[in-house]
Amino acid sequence: MRLWHILRSRLRSIAFRDRRELDLSEELQLHLERETERLQAGGLSREEARLHALRLFGGVEQIKEASRDARGTATWDALVRDTRQGLRRLVRDWRFTTAAVLILALAIGANTAIFSVVNAVLFRRHAVADPDRLVNIYQNGRAGTPLVVTAYSTYMEIAEYTDIFATTMAASVPNPIRYLADGAVRDAVVEYATADYLDTLGLRPSLGRWFDETEVRPGAPLVAVLGHQTWNRRFRADPSIIGRIIRIEGLPVTIVGIGPANHRATFDVGLVTDFWLPMTAIPAMMPRPGRRDTPTIFAPLFVKARLRDGVTVSQARAAMDGLGRRLEAEHPELFRAEGEFALGPGMTVLPSTDVRIHPAADTPFMAIASLVLVIVGLVLAIACSNLATLLLVRGAARAREVSVRLAMGATRRQLVRHLLIESLLLSLAGGVAGCVLAWWGMRALQRVDFPFRVDLTVDYRVLAFAIALSLVTGIVFGLAPALKATRVDLLTTLRDEGLQPVDHRRLTLKNALIVFQVVVSVLLLGGTSIFLQAAAAGRALRVGYAVDGVAMLETDLRFAGYSESEASRVFDELLGRIRAIPGVESAALLRGLPMEVNGVAIVVDSGDGQPGSTLEAAAITAAPGFFDTLRIPLLHGRVFDVRDRADAPRVAVITERMARQYFGAVNAVGRRFRSPNDPNSWTAVIGVVHDTGTGDFDDDVLDPVGPVFYTSYIQSGALPTTVIARTFGEAAPLVAAMQRELRAIDITLPVMTAQTMAQKLAGSLAIPNGIATLFGALGGLGLVLASIGLYAVVAFTVARRSREIGIRMALGARSQQVVWSIARGVAGLTGFGTGIGLVLLVLAMLVMRAGGGSADIGIGSVTVYRPSIDPVALLAIAAVTALVGVAAAFGPARRAARMHPLVALRHE
Amino acid sequence: MSDQTDVLQGTLDLLIMRTLALEPMHGWAIAQRIQQTSDELLRVQQGSLYPALHRLEHQGWIKAEWGASENNRRARFYSLTKAGRKQVEAELEKWERLSTGVNLLLQRT
Repeated sequence: MRLWHILRSRLRSIAFRDRRELDLSEELQLHLERETERLQAGGLSREEARLHALRLFGGVEQIKEASRDARGTATWDALVRDTRQGLRRLVRDWRFTTAAVLILALAIGANTAIFSVVNAVLFRRHAVADPDRLVNIYQNGRAGTPLVVTAYSTYMEIAEYTDIFATTMAASVPNPIRYLADGAVRDAVVEYATADYLDTLGLRPSLGRWFDETEVRPGAPLVAVLGHQTWNRRFRADPSIIGRIIRIEGLPVTIVGIGPANHRATFDVGLVTDFWLPMTAIPAMMPRPGRRDTPTIFAPLFVKARLRDGVTVSQARAAMDGLGRRLEAEHPELFRAEGEFALGPGMTVLPSTDVRIHPAADTPFMAIASLVLVIVGLVLAIACSNLATLLLVRGAARAREVSVRLAMGATRRQLVRHLLIESLLLSLAGGVAGCVLAWWGMRALQRVDFPFRVDLTVDYRVLAFAIALSLVTGIVFGLAPALKATRVDLLTTLRDEGLQPVDHRRLTLKNALIVFQVVVSVLLLGGTSIFLQAAAAGRALRVGYAVDGVAMLETDLRFAGYSESEASRVFDELLGRIRAIPGVESAALLRGLPMEVNGVAIVVDSGDGQPGSTLEAAAITAAPGFFDTLRIPLLHGRVFDVRDRADAPRVAVITERMARQYFGAVNAVGRRFRSPNDPNSWTAVIGVVHDTGTGDFDDDVLDPVGPVFYTSYIQSGALPTTVIARTFGEAAPLVAAMQRELRAIDITLPVMTAQTMAQKLAGSLAIPNGIATLFGALGGLGLVLASIGLYAVVAFTVARRSREIGIRMALGARSQQVVWSIARGVAGLTGFGTGIGLVLLVLAMLVMRAGGGSADIGIGSVTVYRPSIDPVALLAIAAVTALVGVAAAFGPARRAARMHPLVALRHE
Repeated sequence: MSDQTDVLQGTLDLLIMRTLALEPMHGWAIAQRIQQTSDELLRVQQGSLYPALHRLEHQGWIKAEWGASENNRRARFYSLTKAGRKQVEAELEKWERLSTGVNLLLQRT
């Protein structure tokens, strides 16, 4: 009851604030009058009585303030007042406000966007029932550390341990596939899984069911579970999709269920899986050369199991170690092998909650993500220090206002609160604008049809991050300037002689902030130059095959329902028609896109009868006419021709690098190698060609070109998918002509890729170019921010020194001298910052060179680019920074130099 | 806030409410009445009177209404609420205990 009363009273006080103020004045006025009357009655004159009453009464305003305080609304009132005042002031100084909000919006927008990626990848965990009962199981490699993948046969053995594990499941790594929907062929990501997949995770399909045991038997009709997000995105959440047949890789697949709503993929890194297919669909979906009809499932698998009640992780570990020893005894040959797939002692069992991707990859993965955050954080740091500079400069310009208010009785606390509210308003506005920018940027990103999709929904964490970021920015970078602004010497400032001693100290907060901004900008520009260098190096590496006049057309006859024999006839007809297009010099069929490689393991025949060790190589499926069309020079032997029929002995063309590395001589014609799994798969080398660049799925030009060999699709038993052709003329019209020929054969044949070689090359360089662009954008952004800061400081200095400048000019100083005296300070700051930045940059490059080369991060290796220290690039960076500094200083300095001495002297 | 001000503040609150128990009054009259009734021993500072009145009103122990003053001006008349009356009794009891205690202590030492 009483609480209600207080609440109502407070609400009323807040709502009827103006009324209450009037009441209070009237009440106090009456008191004064009655007191005056009383004193008058005591014999004083009216005027004396009034003065006496006033003296007795004390400060009217203070009493009012105290009465307001008593109602408990004073803080609120002050907040409302300060906010209103702050808003008014910010609107009046719209130039300053726009600059500050823009700075913050760019920085917070960039940070929020990057953070949402990191959030999707690192922080968002999908729902799994009882995650602490779930374990990941890995087969160990040579070094006793977990291998990337576990063999299917090992998974079958693990699944036998039903006394330890309630359920066991295996899922493949995400694989790219294509499917037909709404008449268009789309890229998608598929995981091959076992029947127990969802039960092990403790999840339920949101619609329909998961595939059952009968559907994971070899030869069963193909079924699939559709990912929930893809169902929403591509199938408009249509429930009638259950039971419908769609074509995946051209094969009819029945959709039996929709995955759980909160489950995106087995990999807990924000990637989205579109389809789950039974493990046994792998041979049909991925007809690899030579593996067409083998019953063995060869796919990189991840194994997870749910512990039985009462079983501990260490018990599971002991059981798996036993299994590891048994496997070693039963299959000693697997443990003697060399290379990537060699098995080592024991197994690794880890609680699922401890693993993000893979035990060996988690740390580098986190490191990369943190590095990205650090870089974007640097931009935020620039923006924040910039805002601080702006606020400092503004605070100093308001010194007079502040001193007037202090003299009028405002406390320092009130003033600081007032200034803080202003900077908080600024940073909140910046935060909101930044969120809009980030949201807009991410929507643009989502519209791009990547083969892999990352779930980038903005969730409460991202929003909380952006808001926290802007609040912290506002408080931290508003506080120091506010404290500084209110620490004024009342007398000198009020007298405003304008002759306060000019601050000649070098180490001021302002100068430090400017130097810091310049340093960070130089570092970001340096990063840009390193990545541009790397991209250029990659481009140079790729040369080695024809680009001009080359076009490609990819289709997949399975989507149009052709049988294999019909298909090869259709391709022969297509090739014939394309060869007949006027201007075409040469054309060839191949499987996949030109220069795209598959990593494979091989065993090389050393010639002395000893079984060689397992080696890594990259395979490209080619055909007769391939090397001619792409103008890849032959060094020894011959290339594919009509002799290399499907039933002829297997042959391969290898690159110079593979010949030298694996056969010890460039002329390796006549030597042979085979797949480590199949002793009868000997393949003879018939020719050696020049090295060329290659592109793989996770295309990265920083990778050096490894040993590559070419086989003919005719011998692998697979169908071609692509026609490449080279013309005398332009490639772009050829692409259109090739599409016309395809439609002339059968209008229903889907076009999967139709592009020129130049486009393909540009596409494969998209990642390093993208990184360079990102760095460049961030560096440019930093430089723009730093120049705004420089400009503000210079403009402020000029304003502060206008009287001094006026006196100097009145005494005969020339305008050049004035400009020079101002420019000197700026040049000093910029030069100092650039110097530090360049030194740090060179140090970073030296570290990269020292630590360069290939670094193993568990799942494959990452090559650290060794940048060469390019004096031209360093000079360019210094020049750009200096130029920006000069530009920032130029405006205010010129204004100072043009100032009329009289105006300058009168200047406030 | 230190204990001392609490006591003093509480005392002023009590004096005001005790005065208002007789009849509704405006601020100036309350101050006068306290001064007269205490034989000019107690003097109420305006600086603390009005904040105290507003605080008591805010807490719901007194309420204010506009009325005509002795000199026929608009004045805010304060009167005790039901909760206020209970509060006065409780406060009086507390005060009795406190003053007895203090007196005893002062006499015996």
